[in-house]
Amino acid sequence: MNLPKKPLSAGVLTVALAVTLAACGGSGGNNNSSGGGAYDKNATVNIGSLYEPQNLDNTAGGGQGVTEALNGNVYEGLFKLTDDGKVDKLLARDYKVSPDGLTYTFTLRDGVKFHSGKALTSKDVKYSLEKVIAPDSQSARKSNLEVIKTIDTPDAQTVKVTLKQKSISFVYNLSYVWIINDQAKNLKTSEDGTGPYKLNKWTRGSALSLDRFAGYWGTATTNKQAVFHYYKDATALNNALLTNAVDVVTSEQSPDALDQFKSNQNYKVTDGNSTTKLLLAFNDKAKPFTDVKVRQAVSSAIDDKKLLESVWGGYGKQIGSMVPPTDPWYEDLTKVNAYDTAKAKKLLKEAGYEKGFSFTLDTPNYDPHPTAATFIKSQLAKVGITVKINTITPDEWYTKVYKNHDFTATLQEHVNDRDVVWYGNPDFYWGYDNKQVTQWVADAEKASTTQAQTELLKKVNRKTAEDAASDWLYLYPQIVVASSKVSGYPLNGLNSQFFAYDIKKG
Amino acid sequence: MKRSATLWTGCVLAGLIALVALVSLFWLPYDASDTSGTRLAGPGGSHLLGTDKLGRDLLTQLMTGSRIALAAGLGSVAIAALVGITLGLVAAFAQGWFDDTVSAFLDILIAFPTLLLAMLIVSARSATLTSAIIAIGLAQSAIVARLTRILVKRVLAQDYITASRTSGTSWPRIVGAHVLPNIWPTLAVNLALQFGLAVLAEASLSYLGLGAPPPNASWGRMLQEAQATFTTAPAGALAPGILLVLLVIGVNLVADGLRDTLDPARRRRTTA
Repeated sequence: MNLPKKPLSAGVLTVALAVTLAACGGSGGNNNSSGGGAYDKNATVNIGSLYEPQNLDNTAGGGQGVTEALNGNVYEGLFKLTDDGKVDKLLARDYKVSPDGLTYTFTLRDGVKFHSGKALTSKDVKYSLEKVIAPDSQSARKSNLEVIKTIDTPDAQTVKVTLKQKSISFVYNLSYVWIINDQAKNLKTSEDGTGPYKLNKWTRGSALSLDRFAGYWGTATTNKQAVFHYYKDATALNNALLTNAVDVVTSEQSPDALDQFKSNQNYKVTDGNSTTKLLLAFNDKAKPFTDVKVRQAVSSAIDDKKLLESVWGGYGKQIGSMVPPTDPWYEDLTKVNAYDTAKAKKLLKEAGYEKGFSFTLDTPNYDPHPTAATFIKSQLAKVGITVKINTITPDEWYTKVYKNHDFTATLQEHVNDRDVVWYGNPDFYWGYDNKQVTQWVADAEKASTTQAQTELLKKVNRKTAEDAASDWLYLYPQIVVASSKVSGYPLNGLNSQFFAYDIKKG
Repeated sequence: MKRSATLWTGCVLAGLIALVALVSLFWLPYDASDTSGTRLAGPGGSHLLGTDKLGRDLLTQLMTGSRIALAAGLGSVAIAALVGITLGLVAAFAQGWFDDTVSAFLDILIAFPTLLLAMLIVSARSATLTSAIIAIGLAQSAIVARLTRILVKRVLAQDYITASRTSGTSWPRIVGAHVLPNIWPTLAVNLALQFGLAVLAEASLSYLGLGAPPPNASWGRMLQEAQATFTTAPAGALAPGILLVLLVIGVNLVADGLRDTLDPARRRRTTA
């Protein structure tokens, strides 16, 4: 008999790239799992992840993976973000703000060296800031730093930044700007940062290893080497953990596999805070989603709770807006445009779509998007809306949706914290254009106190939720699974970073 | 003529799947997009085989999936036959530089695995079932074309063709009267094998997210979706896997059986 052997396990080719809008994230790590006990200072910590970087440059579309592996580990900012949302000084020893709030003077920490051996100077900081706002920069946070007017370097330890207008988030925004040696080359494949680790080797498609940097200015890492191992699917990653090929999984994406770890005392499962939201993003500039009633109707027609349950079992949270609970301006808005098919039908009737309509949903081809799309299609069919699912690759999504705005509706995960401000930008891919909201976002940025900023952004939060600017389907859980031999790993996935320097292996 | 047991077994297996597909056109246990079931319910109860992550009935999905599997097999083989046989015939008759060019081109195409070629074509178009069928069909047509070309050349070298030509028979008549009847048995066996390969290729493409888009229940995508829940709800992965194996074994047995009954080398010569 001639049985053909075509490998069904061709899943190795699956492009499981999470194209996210992550530009970079802050540093932090006070909220680490409890350490303690004896540990091996020369251990190699093996970290399993689904998010391999596209390249190693966070201003050149490196993706979520580059933040996870390099942020805080290899590169550091002037500031770092702690898990309770506070901003701490890192490479900046001190800073002063002028009374008009337009001039920031930073004094750099002494004795900081890049991995190449060069000492950190103000010129490197200037270069790094300019890199983020350069015309070819693909950083999603670029627009936040375009408020910079001039950068002066009066001496080697001082950087003076003048802003075009007041920007209350400026210091926070600096927490995700990597400080890079201004002489560094080939940043897509190599690095020159000041972090506690230096890049040893990146084997594409497989692993990225980091070695302890002997010349680090701060506290040395509690392990000698940290290796990020990349897997294409959650099952393979879990198997790697079960066979001790990895010690810790940065972000578990397969809730049904958790029971095997929970019932086994050799593993620890933790459920932390995440900032990743799954969005059904309408193109608010394309019919029929130009009509607020249609957007509200679609939001009301989808049972987010059931979707969350389907994809995540009992994990994750429902969310009523773009703001995750860890942002200072969070407010529980899950009741706004909540699941109510009768209301959805009524809204459609008012909008003149009593007989429903049909639209194309551009769906990234990796989990959980196809599942969510299937669910949305089945839910919307009940109110007479026909969904045509168009599966696309991450690259297509970036070009078609993000750059060209050539879509009607799409699904996408947004990983950053404090990103509700993007609704203030009418040119962002979802095209939400509300002058009042744009003004609130601008005013919040120019606010003198964080309280005033918080009040304004709460208004933005509520308005965008009421307008159903997008449909925020759910907030991801942040589940870390680790061997019980390791401790000191970060529990939260704020901005999708993963600090390895405090991990202890016994 | 004695029909072999292989052929019968194959026909029964493939026929069963075809029957399921036929029934699914008129009756399904649940609506295909009904998500009202409990998440990952086990077999038994109101859902005979259980449900998937979204609470959809597994049996319903398997039944609609059988349509996709058969459509992929039939569609791809139809394209492969149409394009492949035509190209093979033209190349064999044209001879000279055209024949050389075509066969070199076919050799290059065949050097690529079917699945890889299909992936290239699907990525250039959008990921739909039609794209997948066209892609698999075109990839397979190279194999069919090369086989056709060789078979036709062999027939054309026979003395009776020369005789027929000298007596003034036109080329189309020669193709109809001599060439096709002679190459048909071998081609039929090959096309049956290609059918099985096409079913697997579609399942693989769907597994990779490049086949029939959701919510169409392709067996390949069902496998992919059930992979993460394999330990908690094994039925979701086992059921489409088993059906896929049964269909492919069935079709391969049909191919083997056909070879036994049709191959000129293995049957008594009754016609010239």
